[in-house]
Amino acid sequence: MSCWHFSLRRKLLPYIEGELREKDVRQLERHLLDCGWCRELLLHLRDGHHMAQRLPRQAMGNDHPSEFRAMMADAGEEARSPWRRVPAWHDWLERFATPPVLGLLAVVLVAQCALLVVSNRDVLFGQRSGAAATTGALDLHDFHRLDIANLKFNTEPRIATQGYVTDVHTDAEEGTVAFKLVESSNAAGPFVVCEIMSPIKMAAPRDGSYVRVYGVSRFDAQAGRKWYEVNPVLDIAVLKR
Amino acid sequence: MIHQSGPANKKQAIDCEQERQLVMAAQRGDPEAFRELHDAYRPRIYNLVAYSIGDPLQTQDLLQTIFLKVFRGLHGFRFQSSLSTWIYRIAHNECQNVHRSRRASHVPLEAILGSSDEIDTKPISHDQHARQEREIILQQAVMQLSFKLSEVVVLKYVEGLSYEEIGRVLRCAPGTVASRLSRALTELEERLRPFRSFL
Repeated sequence: MSCWHFSLRRKLLPYIEGELREKDVRQLERHLLDCGWCRELLLHLRDGHHMAQRLPRQAMGNDHPSEFRAMMADAGEEARSPWRRVPAWHDWLERFATPPVLGLLAVVLVAQCALLVVSNRDVLFGQRSGAAATTGALDLHDFHRLDIANLKFNTEPRIATQGYVTDVHTDAEEGTVAFKLVESSNAAGPFVVCEIMSPIKMAAPRDGSYVRVYGVSRFDAQAGRKWYEVNPVLDIAVLKR
Repeated sequence: MIHQSGPANKKQAIDCEQERQLVMAAQRGDPEAFRELHDAYRPRIYNLVAYSIGDPLQTQDLLQTIFLKVFRGLHGFRFQSSLSTWIYRIAHNECQNVHRSRRASHVPLEAILGSSDEIDTKPISHDQHARQEREIILQQAVMQLSFKLSEVVVLKYVEGLSYEEIGRVLRCAPGTVASRLSRALTELEERLRPFRSFL
């Protein structure tokens, strides 16, 4: 026969050790009056407890130093250079690298980066007229850079050239914007005609601004024209307003 | 086997703050600090291992393995548990590995020590000798328990850990520790019953 009051059985040992709360002691003692099985278990446990209390500590041999040396020798390389030496900054890092400090550092770093990007926007990206959005993943490094005067020698289809903007003309009906790009601000000398055309949507550059234009190189051979063009314009970077 | 009763050597006891300082120094690579930790914990771990393994030579080997693991792992110790719990845990795992590989069959205690009829239970003139005999019987009885049961007995009665502390080492609830301990004590009493008059 066994007793199914597991929760009470679990309290027998703390009862023997005198670590049971008074309320539990009363409850357990009431149960013990009725349950012969638990009384017997209590006797065994009490004897076992008393025996276990007399368990001795086992003492080791006294050869600690040689054992320690042997162990360190087992560690091989680690023993020679006392283990993985932790550099002095490790302590400093552990002490100060708390979440609030790290958070603050992250905020400062992000703010610095943002400031750097904003203040050097022109140098980093130029002032795009929004073409980058429409041209998608346009790699501007693929464009062959050359001066307006050298366009006549060009054999590359995609070019990048720069100059002053003059004669901006918008044709709302056609949805095109055309302008002339000249090498000098007095509009004299060689020029190239640039045309922004649908579906590429791009704001027209301001007259007199200095820009770099990315696009397809072509020559307009129609009578009365005979000039070089960047048509269509794929991107414009404003270098000087 | 040499025995010493009572609590762990007091000179080896180090307080929490001192222990923390030692661990940090050891993590920085100070071998003397590690030696102090080793010397402080070695007797405690030795008891757990000796009771679990039995064989003195194997105990020494295992002790070295355990402290080698402590040594290698100490740099990653982040004080998320107490150092003693962490080291006991390593020792527990190592002892468990040995027991798994052993798959020892049960040998009745009387087969090792002889029955109560065979051993001389008359008072021995030399008290010291009698005490040693009793301790050997007790030790053997504990060693005959399964590893699960013997380790809770050692952690509770030899090392003096609380149910909560044992639970942390064995990764189980204090209630489980209590019930395991009850089973261990019942079994221990049963094994030692033939020697009751002598003990």
